Amino acid sequence: MMTPYLTDLAQRDDTGRFQHLASHLLLTTGAPTNWGQLASSVPSSLGLAKASALRPYELDTDKVTRLNSENIYSLAYSELWQALGVKDVSFQIEIRTLFQLSIELLSNLTQGDQRVYEFEVTTSESGLPISTRLSSYVVLRDFVNETVSSTSSDGVGTFEIGIPNSVNGTALLLVFAQATINPQMVSLGTYSLGHNSDDPLPNATFTRLSPLNYVLNATLNYATVEISKAQIFTFSYNFSLSLNTQGAQTVEYSVPHLLDASPIVMVLTGVNGSTSFAEFVAYPQTPLQIGAKFDESIAGSRIIVYRHTVTINSALYEVVTKWGGLSGDV
Amino acid sequence: MFDRKGQIRIIESFLAIAVVFSAMLVSVTFPSAPDLSKQKSLASMGTQTLLTLDTNGTLGNLILQQNWSDIKTVLDILLPAGVSFNLTVCDENGIAVNSEAIQNSNLLGREAVSVQYVCATRSQTVQFFVVRLQLAWMG
Repeated sequence: MMTPYLTDLAQRDDTGRFQHLASHLLLTTGAPTNWGQLASSVPSSLGLAKASALRPYELDTDKVTRLNSENIYSLAYSELWQALGVKDVSFQIEIRTLFQLSIELLSNLTQGDQRVYEFEVTTSESGLPISTRLSSYVVLRDFVNETVSSTSSDGVGTFEIGIPNSVNGTALLLVFAQATINPQMVSLGTYSLGHNSDDPLPNATFTRLSPLNYVLNATLNYATVEISKAQIFTFSYNFSLSLNTQGAQTVEYSVPHLLDASPIVMVLTGVNGSTSFAEFVAYPQTPLQIGAKFDESIAGSRIIVYRHTVTINSALYEVVTKWGGLSGDV
Repeated sequence: MFDRKGQIRIIESFLAIAVVFSAMLVSVTFPSAPDLSKQKSLASMGTQTLLTLDTNGTLGNLILQQNWSDIKTVLDILLPAGVSFNLTVCDENGIAVNSEAIQNSNLLGREAVSVQYVCATRSQTVQFFVVRLQLAWMG
C-alpha cells in the first residue's frame, strides 16, 4: 500500500539530485579551472563554466569544444563520467544553437560570366517562425562573396549569390542568422554545391579540423592534400587566418579573439589532385552530443531532462542534459 | 452455539475485507503532496530565462518600446515547448503596464510557480520595472 508513496519519494529525490548535478555541470569550472585549453589534460572534476565568467551559465569555448568527438583533443564519455565523480548516475550533454536554420537551393541561372544561385532560408524554433538578419558567404577556392538579407516574420527569406564561371569546384555557403529581437541569438547553416563540377564530397573528407585554445589544427587525411587558403567567418566579419606552424600532414593557424556575438566558422579551401574542396569547422565546435545512449536504454528506466540557455563567446546556446541511473556506456 | 461462532467469523472476515478495500481506495484517491523539486526546477528556469534576457539590455528595451509581442516571442524561444508562461510587467508602484497578455496559454487550474525580477533599463533616465513570470508544466 505504501509502495506508490515510497516510489514517489525516491523519484523526487532523484529529480532534486539530478537538478543539482545539471547546475553543478554548468555553473562550476571543474579542475583545473582551465582544463579546456590544456589539450592533453583530463579534468579531475567536471564543470563547463568559463573561469573568469561575468555571469552565471557562461560556458568556456574550449571546454565545450572538447566535448565534440570530431575534435582530436576531445574527451571520451568515460573520462567525463569519471570526472563528474557520481558513480550511480549516467548523463548525456547536447549543445546546439537556440533556433534552427535550413537552406534550400531554389534555382541557378547563368547570367553573363557568372552563375547566380537563389537560396531560401527558413529560421524557426519548434515550429515557431523567427525573424532574423542574414549574413551569407559563399567560398570557392580563393573566391569569397558576401550577401546581407533577412527572413521576415514568417521565418522565410530568399537571396541570390553569384559565382564567376572562371572558377570551378566545391562551393561552400555559410549562412549566419541573427534574431532581430535579440542579437545574441544566432544560428548557423551550411550548404555545399558543385559549381561547374561534380557534387561535393562530405565535410571532413580531406581534412580533420580541430580548434582549441584559439589555434586551428588541420590534420590532412591524404599526403596529396594541398591547402590554398584558411579563412574565418562570423556574423559580422571575415578574413584570412595566419599560418602558425606546418608539419608533414598537419597545419596550424592562429585564431583571433573576436567580440562578435556569433559562432566562429573556419573554412579551409584546397585541392587533392584535381578535386577542389572547402571544408569547415565551427568554434565552439557545435552542435554536439556526448554521453550515455538513453535511446537504447531499457524501456521504463527513469530519465530526467533539463534544458538551459547558456552564453558561449557572447552568443546564446541551448544545453540539454539528460540524467538517469547507471547504464552500460561507461 | 457453534452456528453463532461461525456467523461472527463471517462478519469479521467481511469487516476485514472492507477495511482492506477502503485503505486501497484511500491510497489511490488521496492526493500526493506537490512535487517541490519540479517546482524548484521551473522557478530556476524562469529566473535564468529573465537573467539571460536582461544580460544585454534586451528585456528593458522591449519594455520601454512596449513591444509585448516580441517579449512573448523571445520567451517562446528561451523556454522549453512543454512550459506554459504568463508574464506581467509592473512599474515601481506595482501597477501592471503591459496592455496585452504576454502568455502562451492559460495557467488556470495548473500548479504554477512565480518568479519576480527587477529590471533596470539601460536608457539615459533609468527606469525600474518588476517583471513577474508565472510558469507551469503543460499537460
